Amino acid sequence: MREEFYKTLSSPIWWGTLAIAAIMPFVLSSYYVHILTLALVYVALASSWNIVGGMAGQISLAHSLFIGIGSMFSAALLLKLGINMWLGLVISAVISGILGAVIAWIDFRFQLGHLSFVLITLAFAEMGSIVVEGWDFLGGASGLLLPKDTGNFLAFQFGGGHGAFWMMLGLAAICVLVNVAILNSPLGYYLRTIRDNEKAAQAIGVNILRYKITAMVISAMLASVVGTAYVRYLTFADPYLLISPVITIEIVLFATVGGLGRAYGPALGALLLVPLGEILRGKLGSTLPGLHYFIYGIVVISVILVTPRGLLPLFERLWARWRGPAVAGKS
Amino acid sequence: MAFLEVSNITRRFGGLVALNAVSFEVEKGEILGIIGPNGAGKTTLFGVISGFIPPSSGNVVYDGESIIGVSPDRLVRRGLMRSFQIVQSFADMTTLDVVTTAALTRRPMREAIDYAAQALLRVGLGGKEHKTPATLSLQDKKLLELAKCIATDPRCILLDEVMAGLTMAETAAPIAIIEELNKQGVTIVMVEHVMPVIMRLAQRMVVINFGEKIAQGTPDEIIKDQRVVDAYFGDHLDA
Ligand SMILES: Nc1ncnc2c1ncn2[C@@H]1O[C@H](COP(=O)(O)OP(=O)(O)OP(=O)(O)O)[C@@H](O)[C@H]1O
Ligand SMILES: [Mg+2]
Repeated sequence: MREEFYKTLSSPIWWGTLAIAAIMPFVLSSYYVHILTLALVYVALASSWNIVGGMAGQISLAHSLFIGIGSMFSAALLLKLGINMWLGLVISAVISGILGAVIAWIDFRFQLGHLSFVLITLAFAEMGSIVVEGWDFLGGASGLLLPKDTGNFLAFQFGGGHGAFWMMLGLAAICVLVNVAILNSPLGYYLRTIRDNEKAAQAIGVNILRYKITAMVISAMLASVVGTAYVRYLTFADPYLLISPVITIEIVLFATVGGLGRAYGPALGALLLVPLGEILRGKLGSTLPGLHYFIYGIVVISVILVTPRGLLPLFERLWARWRGPAVAGKS
Repeated sequence: MAFLEVSNITRRFGGLVALNAVSFEVEKGEILGIIGPNGAGKTTLFGVISGFIPPSSGNVVYDGESIIGVSPDRLVRRGLMRSFQIVQSFADMTTLDVVTTAALTRRPMREAIDYAAQALLRVGLGGKEHKTPATLSLQDKKLLELAKCIATDPRCILLDEVMAGLTMAETAAPIAIIEELNKQGVTIVMVEHVMPVIMRLAQRMVVINFGEKIAQGTPDEIIKDQRVVDAYFGDHLDA
């Protein structure tokens, strides 16, 4: 592990930001706490997707499947079999990890190009939603309703509102930290080399299959865990929300707008776009239905046109210019 | 038994026979030069030896074991490293990042970064650690290929035209690096069109034409060989 990782771990900025975030529930109204919690869900999801989509450059649309397993399956285990949700979280994560490994193996075995990878992963996601909607165990099309969150930690309950926010904050922080850790370890170098040039990566000793699988397994397991936490927060396991490819598209969008492959890029994208979307909807959704989508779309398109590599690189360039040319140039 | 033994390698691309029963041996610690006109099959041969191109038939033995079917990355970990004639690009990585990845073959993270920086320094790319390979000059790109090789601590390297496109003055740096590596015991097989360079570096040479080995011997023997003059130099004089 590179020193940068330990620097991050002991950085006052990191812990300061977390501390300030942690007191938000005492400062903001419950409406804004809800929006922030939602933003943190997407910080966690976009950051876990980033390991495969950003670092390894493989646009996986299979992530709704992992989120769906984490949410629908662990909810079903609790409601239908009485299995504690902590255990459900672990079981779902393991299943997601195995599925992730299978998808990565298929990609390698059949030498899928970028487009085929996108389509195959989308097919997996679609199959997942068909299975969920058709299988009563998983709630079918009508979904599953979890018992009320009474704050019983041992039953994976966090007491709603503030508790859920802190739980999501912790989870989002972990997902971002995993990104920092990977980028500063051999795995990060391997994945970036694979993304940039698979053949050349192999020629300098990188085992493509092993690291593609590793990336996919970590990413899938994290997404699954976030799914379990998310469904606990929502209380209602809605298949049309949790295992629909739309959720993956949102994640890809946030990660791209923030900065693909960067440790803090996807987090930045989610933190800006989720509140923007929610607030626009809250302010405009009732007066002029559809207008909020329109404005949201214009913002997203402008960002991508102005800074195709995302907002994080743009902010870094602005920062470097502001600090003067002496520090510019180093990434 | 020789360090690297290529026996009866044939490789077809559809109807085209790119390599036809090519055999030769490389002794440990020597520099073997491979020459041949454009399209002779030299790069294909390196592709076969380095595990990228499966041969249609034949065998390659490296360090006492057949390496047919062994993946390129495993061969790198066993010390068999290649460079690419077409310099490989990395869109979003710095030269230091790329060479660090190569150094990770045998070293933990922290050491790998230092070792990669040293390798860049050694080939003369000091100060260019944070550039992306695409922004380097052709000469520097070729030096980067060498730095990647060095960083994996190879025992045998296959160099595919690392001097092509360089001026005579520019070849001085890679020549010095290759000589130094060889002095340290690294076995080198190099394909090169720049005749004065290969005549000076190689202890033995193999000549390939239309996928077949037509001659082998010391540089002095090779330039006197009528078949080589016809196939290779004749070709060039006509053009
Ligand atoms: N993947 C491939 N598919 C089809 N034909 C190929 C392929 N790779 C090489 N060839 C053909 O095989 C022959 C040998 O090519 P190769 O690149 O090995 O030659 P070379 O000796 O390296 O030439 P140069 O000096 O131009 O680099 C050429 O006719 C080439 O067109
Ligand atoms: Mg060639």
